[in-house]
Amino acid sequence: MNLVVLYLLLVKATLTSFSGLASLPMVRNDFVVRRHVLTDHQLNTAVAAGRIGPGPLGIYVVSVGYLVAGAPGACAGWLAMITPAFLIIPMLRFLGARAEHRRARAVARAVLFAGAGLMVTAAAPLARDAITGPLSLAIVVSSFILIAVTRVDSLWVMLCAAVVGMLSFQF
Amino acid sequence: MAQPRLTGVTRLFFRVGVTVFGGGDPTIAILQREFYKRDWLSPEKFGIAFGLARLTPGTNVLAFCVAAGWYLRGLPGALAAVLAITIPASVLVVWLTRAYDLTARYPLAQSIANALVAAAVGTMLGAALLLVRTQCSRGRWLRPIVIAAGAFVLAYVVKLSPLQVIGVAAIVGFFWAES
Repeated sequence: MNLVVLYLLLVKATLTSFSGLASLPMVRNDFVVRRHVLTDHQLNTAVAAGRIGPGPLGIYVVSVGYLVAGAPGACAGWLAMITPAFLIIPMLRFLGARAEHRRARAVARAVLFAGAGLMVTAAAPLARDAITGPLSLAIVVSSFILIAVTRVDSLWVMLCAAVVGMLSFQF
Repeated sequence: MAQPRLTGVTRLFFRVGVTVFGGGDPTIAILQREFYKRDWLSPEKFGIAFGLARLTPGTNVLAFCVAAGWYLRGLPGALAAVLAITIPASVLVVWLTRAYDLTARYPLAQSIANALVAAAVGTMLGAALLLVRTQCSRGRWLRPIVIAAGAFVLAYVVKLSPLQVIGVAAIVGFFWAES
């Protein structure tokens, strides 16, 4: 498949969605149903690879690009993934001059607090998957304490969790 | 607020990009905590970046990274943030795509990934607490707690989308201004 077409199809999917996997139906329609350049099994592999690895869930479009056109396709997928993010800059510029207004600050703070509530909401389904026994519960609780109470670097929290995961498999 | 160097911004986003599992929300949670620790981004700017990222098409966390990078170092910061957080993760996802059948059957990798997602859950809860706690100055705890708890109820119980919850919060924030 032509790389420009690949990029345009993927960017169409990412531009018309508002979260990582929301572009999936359009990607499936364009690549699996209409153009037959991808199978459902390959699309599932792309989504699963995106979920296993670090980074946003929307990174699966890089995997889709790779499966359709190899390494250049992965680059097209990566570009399609990051392109819409830059649309935030005009909005920031527009708001920049108004951000110091008292009402604007109050709205920004309210959105910040809502963000805290949304983080807890987003943690709930992840917690259902992640907490499979006393050990995973202990990892959740200890990372919560380390992040909320201490100033320890989050990198160490992640590395410690990885080591515990490795040791739990060994023993 | 401290003004970071471009290399510092790149290093932080790179590190978060390769170590945070579980999607965009844990990534934002960890970035928030690192910004707070380094005194890089004011709560107001974090709120604007967080809210606008939800309004931006595509992957919300990447829009958030562009906004945070923009606030920290302008356009070079925005580019550095989004490149540093996506390139290593993209290389990894290509590798995982190639090796997917192998890794799916490899229990050690599964065990490590499960532990990392558990740590991401704890991190998100810790970051949520930090977001509210840092704003609860003396006698001003009611507004942060009511809005955060209300957002949770609207999203988790009423099942409003994050975009709708942020819209409601913005309206509440406009009419319920801080004294």
